[in-house]
This record gives sequence, structure tokens and C-alpha cells, in this order.
Amino acid sequence: MDPDRDDAARLRRGDTAGLAELMDRHQDRLFRYLLRLLGDEAVAEDAFQQTWLQVAERIGRYDRSRPFAPWLFAVARNLALDHLRRRRPESLDEHPEPEAPVTPEADPFARAVARQQGARLADAVAGLQPLDREVLSLRFEEDLALPQLAETLGVPIPTAKARLYRALARLRERLLARAPAEAWR
Amino acid sequence: MSGHVAELLALAAAGALDPSEAARVEAHLRECAACAAEAAEWRRLAEGLERMPPLRPSHALVARTVEAVEERLAERSERAWNRAALGFAVAFAWTMAVVSWLLLDLLTGELALRLDRPVGPTAAWYAAYVIAGWLTAGAAAVLLGRRTQEEGRIA
Repeated sequence: MDPDRDDAARLRRGDTAGLAELMDRHQDRLFRYLLRLLGDEAVAEDAFQQTWLQVAERIGRYDRSRPFAPWLFAVARNLALDHLRRRRPESLDEHPEPEAPVTPEADPFARAVARQQGARLADAVAGLQPLDREVLSLRFEEDLALPQLAETLGVPIPTAKARLYRALARLRERLLARAPAEAWR
Repeated sequence: MSGHVAELLALAAAGALDPSEAARVEAHLRECAACAAEAAEWRRLAEGLERMPPLRPSHALVARTVEAVEERLAERSERAWNRAALGFAVAFAWTMAVVSWLLLDLLTGELALRLDRPVGPTAAWYAAYVIAGWLTAGAAAVLLGRRTQEEGRIA
């Protein structure tokens, strides 16, 4: 039996113990994902809280025949994309350079990567568009296989593949532009 | 190197190829030194991404979130109770109004004649009672409707 579904049922009945169990299992992944997508710790924290509030409000709409995690991430993704659209109404991934690139100093994700793997990789990742950061995070951090990745993004598998390649290519391009050799070692 | 080959090499490093595609790429890499070098670079990039540090929400954030959700659940429970109570009030008021009409008819009809009671004051009192009942029911219905609308906007 899937514990997520049991806990979702408890939450639906208003039992906060169900919520505690769900949070315990998913909070790290959810926070990481929001931080990657939004690129700002304070905004990610707000989105994290809003996501769980919406989960509590809308748990009645969750289809118990399906896994909980993709539904949770879909709620989080909608909130995050709404925020990004309000902040920058144009397309989230059409422009190769963000108007105000996230710097390693401002982005905790980038700071952490810089400490452990080198400033150039951190800088390059932080400067990617939100949707590029999102797909890289889902694949490499959350270790989602392609079908789950596509489901989370709400796109067909070939589109997910194309997005993944595009994000990798843009990251590599950034690295090579700054340091043609040994860029991410 | 074509863009398609670059895409295959990048996706191979990301573990995003199906088994037959991956096998074809592996076979090609055994024969093509340029592609093998390119593939090694993609793999280094993928490994760098896989080594990203695990980030976690702070305990304070988790505690704040649990508290906020518990408050929201309590509000939801209270709203549900209020809605039920209001619904009962509406149903009760309408029932009373209907029953009052029947009583009024009874009291101003044969029963009043049998009791030999004056019909005028009784009818006036019951008419007032019925009107009050209908007004109460209407007001309750309006309140219920407005509350439902408000909740719809919040949700």
C-alpha cells in the first residue's frame, strides 16, 4: 500500500498527522525543486508554504488512483510559474539571457554548487532560464526517469527530451563561452 | 559533428536514451574517437550536476508551514460547520413557513369555527408570523449564497 495515498486520505479528513507524514517524505525534494526553478531563497520559501496550503485546500481534488508526488509537484509548478510570469511576463525560456541574471552571490543553490564544484559551473547554472534550471534539477537532483520527468513537466516524452538537451546545451555553451577548456572540472 | 549526434551524446550522458538508442551510441563511440571525447565531456558535465549538494528547507520554514496549514484546516472545518448550520437554519425557516400556512389555514377554517374563536386577530398574528418566517428564510438564503460566493473567490 502506498503510504502517500493513506496520508492523503487522512489529510482529506482533516487529520494533520497525514500532512506531517506527507511533508516529511516530500519536503526536501519539493524545496530543492522550487529553489532551482525560482532561483531565489525567499521566494522559494514562500512558494513552499503556499504549495502545502494549496495541498491542504485542494486535497479533495487529488485522484487517489494516481501517485501523490506528481500531483504535489504540479501544484508547486503552477504556483512557481505564476510567480515567474508575474515577475517577468514574457516567455520563460525564449531569451538566451535573463534580464537580471541570478548571480552566485544571490542564489543559495549557486553558492552551494560554487563551494563544492567550482564557481564557473555554479555561475553558468544560475544564469540559465528557469525552465532550463527546472529540467536539470528534476533529472539530475531528483533523479526522475524520462517518463516521470515528462509527467511532471506536463509534456510528451519527446518534448521533455528536447528540453533536457536544450538545457544541457545552453549550460555547456555558457561554460565554454567563459572558459573554453576545463570549464566544469 | 552534427547537432543530432551532439543531442544523442548529451542525452546518453544524462541517462535519457532508451536502451536501443544507448546501445547504438555505445557502438559508435567504440569506433569514433572524436565522439568518444565529446561524450566524455558531456559525462563530466552530467556528473557535476549529479553532485549538486542536497538542499533542505530550514526547520523554521517547516514549522511555519505546518502551523499555517493547521490554521487553514481549522478555518476550513469551521467554514464547513457554519455552512451546515446556516443550511439547517434555511431549511428550518422554510419548513416553519410552510407549516405555518397549514396551521393558519386550519385555525382560520373549520377549527376556528368549531372553537368559536374570533378569526380576525388570529389570522393577523399568523400572517405576521408567516411573513417573518419567509423573511428569515430569505435572509438566510442570501447570507448562504454570499458566503458560498466569497469562499469560491478565496479558493
